[in-house]
This record gives sequence, C-alpha cells and structure tokens, in this order.
Amino acid sequence: MQHHILKDFDQAMNTLRGEVLTMAGLARVNLERAMQALFERNLELANAVIADDNEVDELERRVDQLGMDVLVRFHPVASDLRLVVTAMKISMNLERISDHAVNISKRARKLCATPVLPDVNLLEPLYTLADHLLRDAISAFSDRNAVLGESLHARDKELDRLHRDATATFGSRIEESGRSEEYLHLILIVRSLERVGDMATNIGENAVFLDVARDIRHDPARKTKPPVVEG
Amino acid sequence: MISASPDPSAVSDAPGSHGIPAIQVRGVDFCYGSHKVLKDITLDVPNNEVVAFIGPSGCGKTTLLRCFNRMCDLVPDARVTKGEIIIEGANIADRSIDPVQLRRHVGMVFQKSNPFPRSIYDNVAYGPRTLGEKRQTVLDEVVERSLRRAALWDEVKDRLQDMATGLSGGQQQRLCIARTMAVDPEIILMDEPCSALDPIATAYVEDLILELKEHYTIVIVTHNMQQATRVSDRTAFFYLGELVEYSGTRQMFENPTDKRTEDYLTGRFG
Repeated sequence: MQHHILKDFDQAMNTLRGEVLTMAGLARVNLERAMQALFERNLELANAVIADDNEVDELERRVDQLGMDVLVRFHPVASDLRLVVTAMKISMNLERISDHAVNISKRARKLCATPVLPDVNLLEPLYTLADHLLRDAISAFSDRNAVLGESLHARDKELDRLHRDATATFGSRIEESGRSEEYLHLILIVRSLERVGDMATNIGENAVFLDVARDIRHDPARKTKPPVVEG
Repeated sequence: MISASPDPSAVSDAPGSHGIPAIQVRGVDFCYGSHKVLKDITLDVPNNEVVAFIGPSGCGKTTLLRCFNRMCDLVPDARVTKGEIIIEGANIADRSIDPVQLRRHVGMVFQKSNPFPRSIYDNVAYGPRTLGEKRQTVLDEVVERSLRRAALWDEVKDRLQDMATGLSGGQQQRLCIARTMAVDPEIILMDEPCSALDPIATAYVEDLILELKEHYTIVIVTHNMQQATRVSDRTAFFYLGELVEYSGTRQMFENPTDKRTEDYLTGRFG
C-alpha cells in the first residue's frame, strides 16, 4: 500500500497490525504446547502455557490501546478504519483462544496425575483441524484474503462433526471405563477445541470485512451454500 | 419554475417535489478561458438531502457549487461550455436565465460569515425587502421564522436591533444562514461554512444543517472529512475536474470503489 502522508500514521498502523500478528503467533503456540503437554504428559510444558497466558492478555490490552489511539489521533476511514476495527475484534478472539489453551493445560496437568489414557490420542484429528483453521484465519487477516477467510465457516462444520462424534464416544466410556473424571476432562478439552474453531471462523469473518468490507456474520445464505475454495 | 424573466408570482415556496432531483447535472464542462476545470460532470442532488463535495484544492468542487447559482458569472471569461444544470425544470446554465431570480431559489452561505454592517433584523429582512416586501408584520414573521430555523432566535430575540457584526463568529454564520433562508430558497449551497469556526460553533452549524434538510436541499463543499461523514447523505469526490466517485457517504467512507478516492480519504494522495 502507498505510504501515508503522515509517517506517524503508517507507523501506528504497522505497529497495530504487528501486535495482532504477534498475539496470533503466541496464541497458536500456546494451543500447540497445551496439546503437546496433554499428548506427552508434560507437566512443565502445561505450567509454562498457564504462565505465558499473561503475555497474550497484555497484548490484548495493547492492541486496544493502539486502536483507540489511532481512532482518536487520525480518524481513519475506509480500509484503515476496517483494519483498526478488525484488529481489536481479532485480538479479543485470540485472547479467548489462549484462555482455552490454558484450560486444556490445566486439564492436562490433572490427567498427568492419572494412569495413561490411550483415548487421548483420539483428540489428534480435532486439534489438527482446529490448528489449521486458526493458521488459515491468521493468514486471511495478514494477507487480506477474503476467499480464505470465508472458507473457514464451512470447514468449521467438519470440526463441529468431529466434536459431536468425540463427545459421544467419550460420553459412552464415562460409565463403561470406570474413569469418568478423566473422560470428563477429555470432553471438555474437545469442547475447547471446538470453540477454537468457532473463534478462528470469527477471525476469518473479520478478515473478509477487512478485505472487501462485507459483513458475512449470521449470513443465512452461507448455511445452505458453502463457498468453494481452490487449492 | 425558474424563468428567463423575474416574475415573483412564478416562485413556489414549497421545497422541490420528491422523485425529481433538486439539481440535475448532465455532462457539464466548465472553462475559465481556455482552461477546462470541470470535465463531463453528471450527478443528481436529491431533494431534502445533504450532499458533500470533497476533493483536493483546485479539483473543481467549488466551481461546480458556484455554477448552481451562477456565481461563476462574476468571473470574466468563465462559462459552462457543455451540458446542462437543471433546477426546477430549467437549464440554469443557459444565459437567458436571470441569475438574480435563480439566487432566490438557490441560496449560498460562504466560507467566511459576511453580515451586512446593519442590525440583526435588517440582515435577515434584507432579502424579502429587496424582493419588494414592505409589510412590517410579514417581515417580522419572516425574520422570526428564519432565525428560529437557523437556531439563533433564542440567542438574539431580545436584541434584534443590535449590530450583526457584534455577534460571535458562529452566530454570524448562523445569521447568514438565516438571511439565506429568509427568501425561502429550495436549495442552500454552503462553501466551507465552518472553516473559520471553533469546534463548538461548528457543532451548532452542523446540527443546524441536519435540521434544515427537512425543508431544504443542501450542497456543502468541505475539506473536513469528518464533517462530511457527520452531515451528508451522499458524497461526491472530485479530482482534477472529474467526478471520480459519487455514492452514499457511509459507503464512500467505509468502502470507496475507486482507488483515487481511497487514497485521498486515507491520506495517501501522492
């Protein structure tokens, strides 16, 4: 994009965008480490995720401050205004994703204290899909890619299906396995991953608004006609 | 109907009817001598809406505004060389149209408030008196109605005989708006009406503009983008004599379609 006449404005917008991307990277790494702690029964890693969440919280506050500062000082319009608005909304979703990583870590710590539960591995495909949704949501924002952003909604439906199946499987094992507490943890971890998918979809919707100024939230047309994505 | 000869009886006091735009600009070129400053401009200004003209200095927005009440006639060698500007069914760019009568329909408020060095009352009554109104009761009514519409009545009703030049800058500008309304035009043109006002006085004038569109069609030239977003229904962006984009104000400021508009609005004009 062409430079702004005010150098301060370019700098403020670059900082804002950069902080959101830093936050996105941290939230994604926190989720990855939380799942790693769960799969590998790594107590230290789980504790590290819980400790590092403060950094994401701080970044959320910073993005809001930067956004407010840009609004007050520069009165941005058009694509600049959309960037400020979407940056603030996306940071809120990223903070909640990091909170889910913390929830998963806390449950991983509890599961570390119990005998190995092989069914933990059933979470792998859910995590992989949730992580890909998050990765693509971040790319859609950073590259201003409306097509990629809009595609997330349909792909999140697959995560919803996996969530339902896994919840049914773990639910049936609560009684038959005699390890109800552990399976309850798994059900709630599955729910966290499903919520990560929802938030990635929200970020994708914001990326669409950023790119083409179209608000696709709650669009009934998408329920019947999922977008076709190439590649 | 605006006609070639002054005929007060032919002037309607009612705002223009809905449906037919208050101003229709059709393929207008405008030249200062051999220098073309407006190129093939076409746009409609709907009734009872506020339309903002924006663009960098020298883009032609003020020239087009001045065409609407033939203020451009005052510049030697300046003329519409192509196209039509239709107001009240008449092509007002046609030289046979009487500009004095046109200005009865199309009033103008200028960048700097310019009250006459006379009383507040006389400033507002000036237009109707010029048109031949001598009845004191009618003049009193017109002065009160105009000052009320300009949101100035409560501030000046007890000192109507004071000099207008003693009012504050914001009050003087609202007085000029009242003076414009006193001859009951259908259209009010505003050329950067708040550029010399402080933020409070600006807010009063902007609030007034929003009130006035119930009765009038308003075209405003402004360099203040936030003002355009606050007061106008539609915005026209001009650049180098061309009308680049004309759309709903919200649409233009949220998602302009032309890159030149986006670059100008976002401060990336280079």
